[in-house]
Amino acid sequence: MSDETAASAPSTMNGRFKKPVKVVIDGREITAEAGHPLLQVALDNGIEIPHYCYHPKLSIDGSCRMCQVKIEKAPKLAIACNTPVTDGMVVDTTCDEVAFARKGVMELLLINHPLDCPICDQAGECYLQDYSFGYGSQESRTSSPRRKGLKRHPIGERVIFDQERCILCRRCVRFTKEISKTDELRVFGIGDKSRIGTTSERPLNNDYSINTADICPVGALLSRDFHHKRRVWFLQEHESVCPSCSNGCNVKLGIYNNEIQRMVPRRNDEVNDTWMCDHGRLNYHFAQDETRVRTPLIRDDAHAAPASGNGAGADVKYATTLDAALEAAAEKLRGAVSVHGGGAIGVLGSPHLTNEDLFRLVQLVNALGTPNFDMIVPVGPADDFLIKPEKAANAAGARALGVKPGDGGKDAQAILEGAKSGELRVLLIVGSADAARVLGETGIKDAVAKLDALIVVDANRSPLTDAATIVLPGLVWAEKDGSFTNHAGRVQRVRQAMEPHADLQPEGALFARLAALFARGSAPAAYDAAATLREIAAGVPAFASIGFDTLGSAGLALQEPGAAGAAEAAAPAQA
Amino acid sequence: MGVLSEELKQRIADEFPKYPEKRAVLLTALHFIQAEHDGWIPPGASKEVAELLEIHQIDVEEVISFYSLFHDEPVGKFHIQVCANLSCCLAGARPLIRAFEEKLDIRSGEVTEDGVFSIAEVECLGSCGTAPMLQVNNEPFLENLKPDDVPGILDKLRSRLGEGKR
Repeated sequence: MSDETAASAPSTMNGRFKKPVKVVIDGREITAEAGHPLLQVALDNGIEIPHYCYHPKLSIDGSCRMCQVKIEKAPKLAIACNTPVTDGMVVDTTCDEVAFARKGVMELLLINHPLDCPICDQAGECYLQDYSFGYGSQESRTSSPRRKGLKRHPIGERVIFDQERCILCRRCVRFTKEISKTDELRVFGIGDKSRIGTTSERPLNNDYSINTADICPVGALLSRDFHHKRRVWFLQEHESVCPSCSNGCNVKLGIYNNEIQRMVPRRNDEVNDTWMCDHGRLNYHFAQDETRVRTPLIRDDAHAAPASGNGAGADVKYATTLDAALEAAAEKLRGAVSVHGGGAIGVLGSPHLTNEDLFRLVQLVNALGTPNFDMIVPVGPADDFLIKPEKAANAAGARALGVKPGDGGKDAQAILEGAKSGELRVLLIVGSADAARVLGETGIKDAVAKLDALIVVDANRSPLTDAATIVLPGLVWAEKDGSFTNHAGRVQRVRQAMEPHADLQPEGALFARLAALFARGSAPAAYDAAATLREIAAGVPAFASIGFDTLGSAGLALQEPGAAGAAEAAAPAQA
Repeated sequence: MGVLSEELKQRIADEFPKYPEKRAVLLTALHFIQAEHDGWIPPGASKEVAELLEIHQIDVEEVISFYSLFHDEPVGKFHIQVCANLSCCLAGARPLIRAFEEKLDIRSGEVTEDGVFSIAEVECLGSCGTAPMLQVNNEPFLENLKPDDVPGILDKLRSRLGEGKR
């Protein structure tokens, strides 16, 4: 319900400030913008008026009648959602008349509502439950049987419909009309035969369909992914950002038993209003499925022969400690640089990492002294709403921090070619799925045959982690603190929502330790994302005013690239 | 081949100038279609009307489902609509409906096998003073009815079967 107040971005401060009016609600004098819905004004000022059909991002329907209030000099109660505030309006939301009307509305809404809260996913975050408790009656005055309707009906591939629970608020209908603009849902029938439905040819399958489950005030529309998965009161909710594309939709992660149970959108009017796409919402399973890399690995012929004793050494990888794997990686890098120079090393960064991770990676690359530094940004289908073509959360951040070839250095394509041709001796790949796709099966074989070492840092398995000489396990976004920079240059916090496996560390820590080991320097201070962002702010002008303390829940825009000489100049120079 | 004849489409299009926007012609168009298709709107018609009026097919289906005057399934040649609202019920609409059901051997909402009769319970037709009452198709009301009137009503309707289209 907090998503319904404008606290994050007051509508009265957006420059289109209309004539302010004074209204009195429950004895409190409030200044508001003329013409705003009385209901929204009340909510924005912390006065609860119960409501079902009203939603701040949808048109006004006025069908549920729950938000009736008493307005002085008005002949009868009025619905607060469809009453624009006017100067001098005096409103009472608590009088007996209002309480009686609410009780009546609740009685009619519940007259056919099934009592299946114990098996309803909505239980615990259900308006019907909350308002029944707050404003309803404790007993039923009817004994006639409740109307039967569709149960667990697959109204779309990703949404389940329970007709018996529906209170016909039409939020979902308005969503498909006004937001997704796909028009799959309508109200069919009349009177007590009214029901939400689709046509048989067009089920509810648009790219944003699960938002209808979010805005459904009861348990009528439900996410199939979350169906009967976990009672919501067991979830710990953490604010985060969706990692699936460069839009950076604000989300809440629901965690239980150190696993993500669901991802739901969080209101940010600058980024995603209160919506997110289905693909992003459902793309979290990689954080906890069997593809996770949980152990550092070394493929080492010298160890292989005695240990296996069967000559299969070159194809055997050994689980090892993080310390040993980092030491081995540093040794490979050092060896290549001392014999061939920094140019013998290629580094592919990842647009999936946080700004903080990437800053440490840029420092590592500077220490290695190679200009062969780039990244592969996966692209895919986009639309003109939330879905952006770059399928990574932080490509813009990576660019702003200088993840790109140095003077005369190779770009991503040339780095992979150089690995296959033998021109490069050591290849460090961070986030390997996209590089594996570009290389292909034979490309990977060629590269492994020619390279002295293939070092892969990744949180998930890929053909490249399978082929690598050294694998350093990374973390997924939900396991670390940090920030992403979205396509529009907005920096947003991600927060650690899950404990990493064993003693795995964020990539930023790995890069810092690797840089120190490479230079045979002393161990770096313990990695800390907040401190790293402070370093970024000090060193990269675009990030000047950005820190964990200033980002808040809504994030902050990077400084205009032109304004301060920008990221270009700020990115640490490449050797 | 579409469901709607070219001539019917033209008649619908001829209505456009009478209204501020095309979608306003929807109710008229549906009436035209029912009159041409044995009193109901056949499958596929909603899609063609939607294209004609430049609205969504689901908007057409929503309207068809809303009005008891429109049928997306076949009804009898004589569609017997008995008012089942308060005044008529108090004055004996239930026994009247039951008499029709027994005589025709179908339930309210169904069509006889020969496709001649169908029974429907409808909302108030605005003739409470002469309750209970009914309306056959769009014909004048039959009023102040008793269950005993049912055989006579049915006989009269049957005798009209040869008259061709209503």
